[in-house]
Order: sequence, then structure tokens, then C-alpha cells
Amino acid sequence: MAVADLTTERRLSIPTGIPTGVLLAITGYFAGVWLGNEFGLFDDQNTGIILGYVFATAGFLIGMGFLNHPLGRLLGWRLDPLGEADIEVGLGRYFRLSLDHKVIGIQYLVTILTMLFFGGVGAMVIRTSLLSPTPTIVPAGNYLSVVGLHSVMMIFITSAAIVGPFGNYLVPLMIGSRRMAFPRLEALSFWLVPPAAVILGAATFWGGFPTGWTGYAPLSEQAGQGMDSYIVGFILIGLALITSGVNMLATIIALRAPGLTWARLPIFVWGILCTSILGLLAAPVLAAALVMLALDRSAQTSFFLASNGGSNYLWENLFWFFGHPEVYIFILPAFGIVMELAAHFARRPLFGYRVGVVGLFGVTLLSWFVWQHHLFVSGIAPVLRPFYMLSTELISVPTGFIFLVVLGTLWRSRVWLTVPMLFCLGFLFNFLIGGITGVYLSDVPTDVTLHGSYFSMAHFHYTIMGGEIFAFAAAIYYWFPRMTGKMLNQTLGRIHFWWMFIAFNSTFFPLLIAGLLDMPRRVSAYNPGLQFLNQWVTFSAYLLFSSMILFAANIIYSWFIQPVPAVANPWRARSLEWQIPTPVPARNFERVPLILAGPYDYGLPNAKPVADLRGLVGATGGS
Amino acid sequence: MAAETRYSAAEAALAALDVRIASVGMWLFLAANAFYYAAWYFAFFYLKALNNNGAWMISGLTRPSRAYGTIVLLLALVSAGAYALATRAPVRTLLWRLPAVAALVVGLGVVLFQAYEMWHLGFGLTQGGFPSVFVGLTGSWVVEWAAATFWLATIISQARVGGDTILRAAPVAAFANLLGFLAVVGILNWILLYFLP
Amino acid sequence: MTALAIPVFTGVVVLVLYSAIFFRRRAGEPLYDGPPVYGGARLQLTWIVVSFVLVLVLALLGITTLVSSQAAQAVGASGRAIGSGSETGSPIKETNNELQVQVIAQQWYFTYRFPDYGGVETTHLELPVGVPVEFHVTSLDIIHSWWAYELGVKADANPGVDNQFHATPQRTGSFTVRCAELCGIWHGEMADTEGRVVSGSDFNSWIKQQQATFAEIGKSLPSYAPSYFPEPLTKGT
Repeated sequence: MAVADLTTERRLSIPTGIPTGVLLAITGYFAGVWLGNEFGLFDDQNTGIILGYVFATAGFLIGMGFLNHPLGRLLGWRLDPLGEADIEVGLGRYFRLSLDHKVIGIQYLVTILTMLFFGGVGAMVIRTSLLSPTPTIVPAGNYLSVVGLHSVMMIFITSAAIVGPFGNYLVPLMIGSRRMAFPRLEALSFWLVPPAAVILGAATFWGGFPTGWTGYAPLSEQAGQGMDSYIVGFILIGLALITSGVNMLATIIALRAPGLTWARLPIFVWGILCTSILGLLAAPVLAAALVMLALDRSAQTSFFLASNGGSNYLWENLFWFFGHPEVYIFILPAFGIVMELAAHFARRPLFGYRVGVVGLFGVTLLSWFVWQHHLFVSGIAPVLRPFYMLSTELISVPTGFIFLVVLGTLWRSRVWLTVPMLFCLGFLFNFLIGGITGVYLSDVPTDVTLHGSYFSMAHFHYTIMGGEIFAFAAAIYYWFPRMTGKMLNQTLGRIHFWWMFIAFNSTFFPLLIAGLLDMPRRVSAYNPGLQFLNQWVTFSAYLLFSSMILFAANIIYSWFIQPVPAVANPWRARSLEWQIPTPVPARNFERVPLILAGPYDYGLPNAKPVADLRGLVGATGGS
Repeated sequence: MAAETRYSAAEAALAALDVRIASVGMWLFLAANAFYYAAWYFAFFYLKALNNNGAWMISGLTRPSRAYGTIVLLLALVSAGAYALATRAPVRTLLWRLPAVAALVVGLGVVLFQAYEMWHLGFGLTQGGFPSVFVGLTGSWVVEWAAATFWLATIISQARVGGDTILRAAPVAAFANLLGFLAVVGILNWILLYFLP
Repeated sequence: MTALAIPVFTGVVVLVLYSAIFFRRRAGEPLYDGPPVYGGARLQLTWIVVSFVLVLVLALLGITTLVSSQAAQAVGASGRAIGSGSETGSPIKETNNELQVQVIAQQWYFTYRFPDYGGVETTHLELPVGVPVEFHVTSLDIIHSWWAYELGVKADANPGVDNQFHATPQRTGSFTVRCAELCGIWHGEMADTEGRVVSGSDFNSWIKQQQATFAEIGKSLPSYAPSYFPEPLTKGT
């Protein structure tokens, strides 16, 4: 039986892309709203809005072309499984559904930076309002919605800030692979982020949501329709975490080049591996909790209503069971970056590589057993508090391993104090403060005072902004030449570092003190005695924001306005991602390379090159 | 065989690699899935234990029908079992095709019957803790089951000469794990939702 | 705890700065590799053991403080502290002479009921000095958190939950009550600066006055209960 027509390549002829996506998204939104309002079980708008957001997202993804492949396969067509035909050049590919992990990395980077700007503007509004101890500058209701938008936007960003741009771009290059395991899932994990951000922003049309990022029920059930944005946006980010986790883990497990044993894996890849484990397993719990919240708000079930057989403790438990691993999702890849860069710039082998890996895994494992330290004063199972206190404080042991590795690597080496290295040192300082203040919060007697105060708020800004965002900046300065072929301006970079470092500490250290002086979080009105402290913080925050503007200016200037082509391997690093030409060829490697040595074998007289790029003779695997 | 020549060398190499990727990827997905249902089971036991305001199971609540639940579960088990049977035979044979198609048909029956039951619950969603968990847990499960049948339809559609399924047998085998997993969740749901309260 | 934190912090910062200053590659110096040391086993082991021991000591300290119900002082501002609190879970005997106070939270204020005094509900809180108090914190709507900074106590108010903890006011003075859990638009305004710790006789006259003031309102209140729910559901509601 001749089935020639079936074996030829066929594609759906719908024009796909952002315009189609937006069109279908708008259509989907109104269809969902109509459906929910017409057939919803209860007479409230929430069903319609939730369905509207879900349909809009689905419409957007269909318009981007995500349905073409599964639908074509369902119809029995032969489809190119890896989208080889989709590999294209030119600027247009950054605005389309691309299956190239390098394109996705750049898409992520630009998206994250854009979202970071909006999140930062939110922070500025918050700080401006706090110039006055009463909510006169920004009305209390608006203040609260800005707090919510800032926090959730930043959580969206920091969930993906490192895994998204750098994980996607660099992991295949670092492990010597020509592809990702699931390129379609990878693309999906990116294209879920812009709808999530837009849906979150749409909350402003409904008066925002009053709950901060924790979404504590029943406040979140009493809240207006802005809350639906929180639910759907967060579910989308959860899906992005799951899809990216499946893809990253399968890639690292199954697609390492021959010779790349686990002991030779770059420490950054270990960081991505651990964070992917957390994202993969924690996000489903969040998704379940959000589905319950959505049901409560739309179908009037009562998961979290105590008077109706529910419990607000259920939300608190599920949320923090996700929430605490979530904060390690932020920081583990940052640990990876700092250790990676320490070895390359100290130009010596990573001190205690195994201890570093054990540290990463220790944090990964322990992070599942600590969530109730957020609930020490909640009244849930007070008997268990000593256990959670112990497990929380134990996390500082594997975290200490990271410091051991970095300090040991720097010790008696010749540290090359480049801009990325400066950011790594800044990371160490900030994260140290973040970590030590964390111990105070983990101790029940002190937590009774500090919980829910500005102390805990300053603590997590020290770990997330002072930690992850500093590592994020280090990564941008370090890998920008790899990703774009341009050097970022180093002088501007140095100014940026010192400006940001000083402004950051001047912003958040006083907030630790504000917390000690009885200022609760998320308040629009506070003790007038603390006004001077708050004004100081606000002006420092303006400085901090302007340092980020300088950062953005540096990126735009060095990328588009006055690009300086980077020399090949500007940091003269040994690791594999720097051994291939710039720009990175379409399939990364001509052949799958044969790994010969570890990435950090600096200073060895007879060190082999890290890989033989000609690959195994006769091997075609992974093509 | 002539059929093999329809595949390019690149596709063949890809298929070899797919074995590992598909199996690893499916296990990872199932791990995530397990955490999702674990969260629901936690909600079940937590709310049942707290029984706030005595409203976990209010007095006089109509229980969900065991008959419906059992029918749905049996259909799910038959579907997963039929597919597991299919994976023992080579894709191109009738021994593969018959049970696979049966799995699809019965799988669609699961969705239909479950949807029917959801429309005839006998209790309102506002009536306490148990109705909430029942609707959420069953709903999650049936939505995922429906997605799985879509995938199964794809596999069957591609199971012909020149199609994907013959070349890339790995996803076909991995899919059996998904149906098996959902069947196990179905059994747990059946015990918890129809017999435990 | 601070005694441990400061040396750790200083030590690490000094190490980082020392490495960055004295081991840095100076301008114009050629780029050369550091010593190829992969890590000294003894140093790593020492670090691991020391950090482990430090953490265990800290955790033990914390747990002993928790269970022996020692003062959970308001850290950093002990000068302002006028009382010491301890939370549930401590094996402190709930003696019968503890004053029972129920804290009822709702958007956006706290009220207090005294079951020992006929369940009278007041809008501010005064406590007699030296008398141990057992607080029962609950909420009527959403989650709040009752934070009396100077008393060294904080406890979440959950709907349908009786969250108990203890405190003993040690000297007279005033305290501020704030809400420490985001509870909606006026969360920041949910504060009361009129908390007082007074002598026993002052307290007695205060509570009598309150009973007189709120006598009329008290008639319409539900009787005292650990938490307040609407009627249980039945089928058909």
C-alpha cells in the first residue's frame, strides 16, 4: 500500500505568531467570561473571569502554534518531531514559537528583565507611600494591591530568573548536547510566562488583590475579582516550573555527552538539577492548593472556610509546603553560579567539589521538612515546633558547605576581580546576612517577636534580592558575551556593582531594625516614631532602583547602541560552553563532543582539554 | 522491509535516544503528578480530621453513589489493563491494535460516565468539606484522564506504516505507565471517596 | 544567639575581604592559574563538624527556651519589654489562678472577653501586674495575628480556632497591640496603643467599670465559647 502522501511533511496552514495569539487570547477571554456567566453554578463573576483567563491563555498558546503539532499528530500526519525545519535565523525567531534552546534563553532573558522593571516600579510606589506614616500619598487600598502585584510579580521573576535564561541557554552547551530532551515543553515553559504576567497585571482592572504573595485564605476568598488573576497567573507559573523541571532533568540525566560523568558535571548544572527537582515536585502542590482556592471562589466549595467544614490551616500547610522549597528554587541556581564563577576567576580547581554537590542536595532534601517554620505562631501543632526549629537550623549546615567551597577556592589563589566576580563577592556578603537573620527567624522564641515583621521582610530580600538577583547580575555579566557575542561595558559594570551593593544594604539593613522596633509587614500606616528610618530607606530604595536603571542602560548600550564584539572566550575559562564558536552554531556542536576532563582543572601541568569537539569517532548519537 | 526506508537516518538515531528520554521524562512527570494527588489526599485527611463546625460530612448528606463510582473505576481498570496488554505485542500487529483501540473506547467511557456522575451528585457543592474534596479530587482525575485519552488517540492514529508510533516505540511504552498511574489514583479515590467517610 | 552570629559573620567577611584584597590579580599581572588543590579533607571535615555543632547548640538553646517557657523577650528592645510570654506546647502547668482572656479579632480591631468576669467584652485591654494570663486568640472572619510587642507575645487569630498562649506582665506600663498578619485594607491601622498593665486594685476597678459600660451590649452577645461559628450545616441549607 503506497501511502506516499502520509509520509510527506505536512503542517497546518494557520498563520501562527504573536498577532494570532493575541487575537485568540482576546476571543478566548470573552468566550470564557460569557460561558462562566451564563452557565456558572453560582451568580458571581469569578467563574467567568477564571474561565476567561484560562481560555485566553489557551487561545494565546494555540495562536502561537502549540496546537499544530499535537493536532497534526492526532490527524496522523508525519511531523518533524524536533522541529528541525523551525531552526531559522534572523530577528523574527525571537518573536515566534521557537524550539531552539538558545532562542528560548534569550526570550526568557528579555522577558525577565522587562518584568523586573515593572516589579521594581511597584517597589518604588510602596516605598514612596511609606514616606508618610499614614496612607496619604497612596490610598490604603491601592497600596495593598501594589504590595500584592510587586510581590507576586517578583516571585514569578525569581522562579525563572536563572533557570529560564541561563539554564535553557547553557545547560545543553555545558553538558555537550545538541538538543534539549523536550524542546516543546521547554518552549511551553517560556510561553506560559508572558500570559501569567499579563494576567497578573490585569488584576489592576479589578482593584488588585489584598493578600500579598501568600494568598492566605479566607482573606483571598473575601477578596474581589483581582484575586482570580493571582490564582490563574500562579497556576501558569506552576505549570512552567513543572514543564521546565521535566525538561531540564531529563536533559541532564539522559543527554550528557559521552565522558561527562557525574563527577565532571559543572557545578552550575548541579544547581539547575537541584532546583529543577524542587520545582518539579513543589509546584504541583501549589497547583492543587490554587485549584481548591479557585473552586472555593467560583463553585462555592469550602476548602478553606472553617464554618463550612474547611480550614485556613489547609491553605497555610499546602502553600508553605510549596512555598519553602520555592525559596530554594530561587537560591540553588544562584549557589551554582557563585561556585562556578569562583573556580573560573580564582583559576584553580573548585575546592571541595563533592562537598558543594552534597551541600546542594542537602538543601534540596531538607527544604521539604521545614515549611511549618512559617507557622510557628499560627497555632498549628505547637508540639512539632522543636522539630521544625531543628530542621530549619540544620539547613544552615549544607548552606555553609557552599561558603566553604567558595572560600576554599578563593584562598591563596589569584582572584581575577572582574565585574561578575564582584557580584559573587557581593552575593556572599548579602547572603551571609540573609542566612544569619534566617537563624533568628527559625528560633521560636525570637520568631515570636520577629514573625510577620519587617525583620522577616528584610531577611528574605537579603536572600532573594541580595542573593539571587546579585547572582543573576553576575551571570549576565559573565555569560552575556556567550549569549550575544557582545561584551557588557566593564566600567559601567563596576559602577553598577558598587552603586547597587551600597544602595541595597542601605535599603534593607535599616529594615531589619524597623522589624526589631515592632513594624509589621505590609502596612500602609505605621508607628510615626519610625518615620525617619522609613524615609532613609525610601531614599536608599530610589538609589537602588536607579542602579538597576544603570544596569538596564548598560545592557541596552552594549547590546544595541555601541556593541563591542567579544573575543572568543573572554574570561579564558576552561568549561565546555566557552569552547565553541560565537555565535553558537545552530545545533551547538557539529558532533557530540567527547568529554576528557573536568571543567575546573586549572593549574594542572598536564591538564587535558575539557573535551574533544570532534566527538567519538563513528558515533552519531544524539544528533 | 520497505516500511523502514520511510524513515531518515536522523529519525532513526533520534528514536534510539528517545527510549531513555521518554522513560525518564514520564517518570519525572509521574513524580510531579504524585505530589499533586498527595496534596489532595492531604486535604482529604486533614479536613476529615479537623471536622470544623461538624461540617466535614453534614447530617443527612446524600453520599455519592457507589454504583457509579465502581463503574467508573472498573472502566478505568479495563482501559489501563487493555493498554498494558497491548504493549506486550509489536505495534504493527493486530494484537497491539485491538486492545489499544479497546483501551481508547473504554477510556472515553470513563470520561462520559464520570461526567454523568458529576451532574447527578445528589449533594450541593456548598455542603461542607467532603463535597468539596469529592468534586476537586474526582474532577482533577477525570480531566487528566481525558487528556490521557487524547494522547492515546494520537498514539493509535500514528500506529500505522510510516507513522510515529512504530518508529518511536518508547513513548508508547511510557504511556502505559501514565494509564497505570491514573488507574492507581482511581483505586485510591474509590476507596477514600466511596467507602472511607 | 547574637554571640554566635557575630563571630561567624565577621569571620566569613574577613575571609572574603582578605582573599579579595591580598589574593587578587593586580593590574597588569599576567593571568595565571592558582594551585591545583582540590580540597583538603581535614579542613572540610573541620568545617562540617564545627558548623554542625554550632547549629545543634543553637537548636538546643532554642528548644530549651521554648519548653522551659523562659522569657520570650522582645529581642532588640528589651528596654521596652514589660512582660514575658510563652506559647502553647510548653509543659508549664496551667494553674487555676491564671487570668483567662479571650482575644477576638475581626476586621479591623481586637476585642477582649473575660470569662472570669461574666464574659464581659471590652474594646481595650488592661492586665493586672504579676498575674499570669492565659490568652485564647480566635477570629470571627479571616486570619489576624495578635501582637503585643512589649509583652513578648504574638499569636495568630484563626476563625474557628482557640490559639492559646501564656504571659506574665512583670511591671506596670503601657503596651501596643498590632495586627501582624495581613488582613485587608486597614491592616496597618489595626493597632491599639491603649494597652495597660496596672496594679491589681486598678484592674479590679477597671473591670467593674467595663462591666457597667458594656452591660447592655453584653446581653446581645453569644455566650462565651472557645470559638464562634454560625449554626452547623444541615442538608438543605
